[in-house]
Amino acid sequence: MKYQSHQIALNFYTTSVLLFLVQVLVGIIAALQFIWPDFFILNFNTIRTLHINSLVVWLLMGMMGATYYVVTEESETELWSVPLGHLQFWATVIAVGAVVVGYIVMGLNPQANTEVFGTRLLNEGREYIEAPRWADILIVISVLLFLLNSFMTVMKTRKFTAVQGVLLGGLTFLALMYLPGMFYTKSMVKDQFWWWWVVHLWVEGSWELIAAALLAFMLHKLLGTDVKVLAKWMYIEVGLVLFTGILGLGHHYYWIGTPEYWLWVGGIFSSLEPIPLLLMVWDAFRTTRETRVPVQNRIGLYLTVAHAIFNFVGAGLWGVIHTLPQVNKWTHGTQITTAHGHLAFYGAYVLLIVAMIYVTVPSIRGDKEFNQSRGFQSFWWMTISMVFIVITITGAGMVQTYMERLLGLDYVTVKATYNLWFWIFRAIFGAGFLVGVLMLAADIFSIGKRPAS
Amino acid sequence: MSTNAAKNLFIYGSLLCFVVLVILTIDTMGKLDKRAPEITEEVNAGKKVWHKYDCIGCHTIFGNGSYFAPDMTKATERKPKEYLKKFLLDPRVIKADSAMPKLGLNEQEADDLIAFLDWTSKVDTNDWPPKPILASAIAGKAASAGQALFQKHDCSACHQIQGIGGAAGPDLTQVGARRPDIDWHIRHLKDPSSVVRDSAMPAFTDMNDEELKALAEFLITLK
Ligand code: HEC
Ligand code: HEC
Ligand code: HEM
Ligand code: HEM
Ligand SMILES: [Fe+2]
Repeated sequence: MKYQSHQIALNFYTTSVLLFLVQVLVGIIAALQFIWPDFFILNFNTIRTLHINSLVVWLLMGMMGATYYVVTEESETELWSVPLGHLQFWATVIAVGAVVVGYIVMGLNPQANTEVFGTRLLNEGREYIEAPRWADILIVISVLLFLLNSFMTVMKTRKFTAVQGVLLGGLTFLALMYLPGMFYTKSMVKDQFWWWWVVHLWVEGSWELIAAALLAFMLHKLLGTDVKVLAKWMYIEVGLVLFTGILGLGHHYYWIGTPEYWLWVGGIFSSLEPIPLLLMVWDAFRTTRETRVPVQNRIGLYLTVAHAIFNFVGAGLWGVIHTLPQVNKWTHGTQITTAHGHLAFYGAYVLLIVAMIYVTVPSIRGDKEFNQSRGFQSFWWMTISMVFIVITITGAGMVQTYMERLLGLDYVTVKATYNLWFWIFRAIFGAGFLVGVLMLAADIFSIGKRPAS
Repeated sequence: MSTNAAKNLFIYGSLLCFVVLVILTIDTMGKLDKRAPEITEEVNAGKKVWHKYDCIGCHTIFGNGSYFAPDMTKATERKPKEYLKKFLLDPRVIKADSAMPKLGLNEQEADDLIAFLDWTSKVDTNDWPPKPILASAIAGKAASAGQALFQKHDCSACHQIQGIGGAAGPDLTQVGARRPDIDWHIRHLKDPSSVVRDSAMPAFTDMNDEELKALAEFLITLK
């Protein structure tokens, strides 16, 4: 290990992958509850909360691990404070553990979710940001310590690279955009208005900045592409991401009680959101094609390019199909949304973190010629299964939109009869996805470790 | 374009967009209260109950949330409050195969929730959810006075006939075979609990005898 700090990155990655496993296991339970609602001791809402919270947390932890790696490598120095890094890791793990216990207690006995100081003790009852206020504060402290450590590391050697700039800028934006979710409003309309600031400005704003920075970092590390060229395109990409994404927020303000002009603002700007994502795909292909030297870490490059492609398909294409108000009016809040949510998160962020793991863990462990075959297998199991889940759920969403929204059939009837087969197929493909995650989990413990011989 | 130009465009362009967002947000905040009824203490209490039991973990409201259960934005529009209250207190007493579990709400919480849901149903949502366009195209004209009453009183909010209608009450496609007695239907419509213990169906007291008879006659033809 070149830097001690990389042990912290490794700890973050390992926890990420284990949480990914938890996420997918509860995802399968959630899928089965569509067929048998009483399938498990915890009700669907608790299972779903665990599913989406573990997703967000493991992606964030993956980003933290990746950042610790990137700043040390780009600044060519240890972290500003290695003990602080370890502390921040363990504090995060403990806080996350406490929140999970809270969700389970609340799921078993909702009465335990009492009101303290005007907020809920165990579960805030708001999608994605279910974590109670005390946990919000712990999360903010943890993120501030993380940002402090990263910024001070850059200040140590003052190598202000473009990648570090955009990466830390994105992370700061991320931390700031957590705040609009941290106060109570009496109006459900205002509640959802601010809630979307967090959710949308994360995945279609700050997280995309982080993705663009890590994409440039990986392309440089894998292919040795000139940083100048990478930096220029990265700036163009993130510039367009924010130009389209910030006002693209309007695509969530069509029907929640907000004024009509949002139909125009949201429709126009969000329709342009796929453009920067397409640029990233082109960027990945161009740099790969222009490279003459043979690439050693083939799986790393494979995942990097796959991330760019599926970011465009899942977020860009599956997003743009239902982003115009004329379409969204009929599809809003149906399984079409679920299909998009899955492919977008998978392409944009799951593959991003998995790519970072395969690009950096071998160099952390010091073995450049690791066995890559399990990585490829894991990738294909996950990707094929996810594509089929998304096709299945898109089908369910089309049936639902037609029968419920156009024909006026009852929600429960459509779900219980006409969509039943889709639920069965989702559960089956979910099992396939689990196989891929298990392989990834096995790999994180072994890649880069030389055979014992 | 040079790297530096791209960088400046990114930084200042993004800041500009963010400023525009803040301006639109301020404008929107000023307009929201006019698009919704006043928020009483009861409505606010109901919103807190909504959060306490994590209703969003199964339902959507304004179309946002989870897709495991029906949207709640207009929940009070087609169903009477007494019915909703009974359902919230214990869904499976009303509908044995309901996928919603008993969550342990008390009476006060149920009343507050209904006040809250009544509030959301009156928010100006730019006409969402939309009226099903094909439903009106295929709904035939009523063939009898009884069927007209069935439509007028929106029985299909809770009942299905041949796949069309809600699922809160039993499917009526073959109710005539199950319950061929006209008098039973008349008594049931006037006061459901007098013939079905703890019935959650609302009483239809505003129909006169003639209308009740016509409706009951229509029901027994369903077989
Ligand atoms: C575990 C999931 C779950 C949770 C939590 C949940 N519901 Fe439900 N709810 C359902 C399902 C599923 C239905 C569909 C009805 C059925 O299957 O009979 C439903 C139906 C309803 C209905 C009846 C709608 C109608 O038109 O007949 C109301 C009202 C309702 N829920 C309100 C709530 C409220 C308020 C909360 C929070 C206190 C809540 N639900 C929490 C799953 C849930
Ligand atoms: C708010 C929901 C609701 C509405 C509206 C409603 N019902 Fe019902 N209905 C129920 C429930 C719940 C039951 C089951 C309990 C019972 O039998 O009383 C039921 C039962 C029935 C039954 C007995 C079915 C059987 O198989 O035993 C008939 C007939 C019936 N309703 C007719 C009607 C008619 C006609 C209307 C319109 C005038 C109507 N209902 C409106 C909820 C509703
Ligand atoms: C970049 C990564 C993206 C991710 C991770 C993502 C994820 C999601 C998720 C999870 C939801 C559902 C939110 C909920 O639970 O209520 C959602 C909704 C939505 N997304 Fe995305 N998204 C991304 C990008 C995009 C893009 C680029 C577009 C448009 C071009 C888009 C358009 C939409 C729309 C219109 C909705 C609302 C759906 C509805 O009305 O129900 N998304 N997105
Ligand atoms: C085994 C594979 C998986 C299964 C079976 C599964 C199942 C589910 C189910 C049943 C829901 C609830 C949807 C609803 O409310 O209707 C859900 C929600 C969600 N899942 Fe998964 N999931 C799986 C993997 C994943 C993965 C890998 C991701 C991330 C890429 C993910 C991201 C999400 C998100 C963001 C939501 C909430 C938003 C939404 O419903 O649109 N899931 N999942
Ligand atoms: Fe969005």
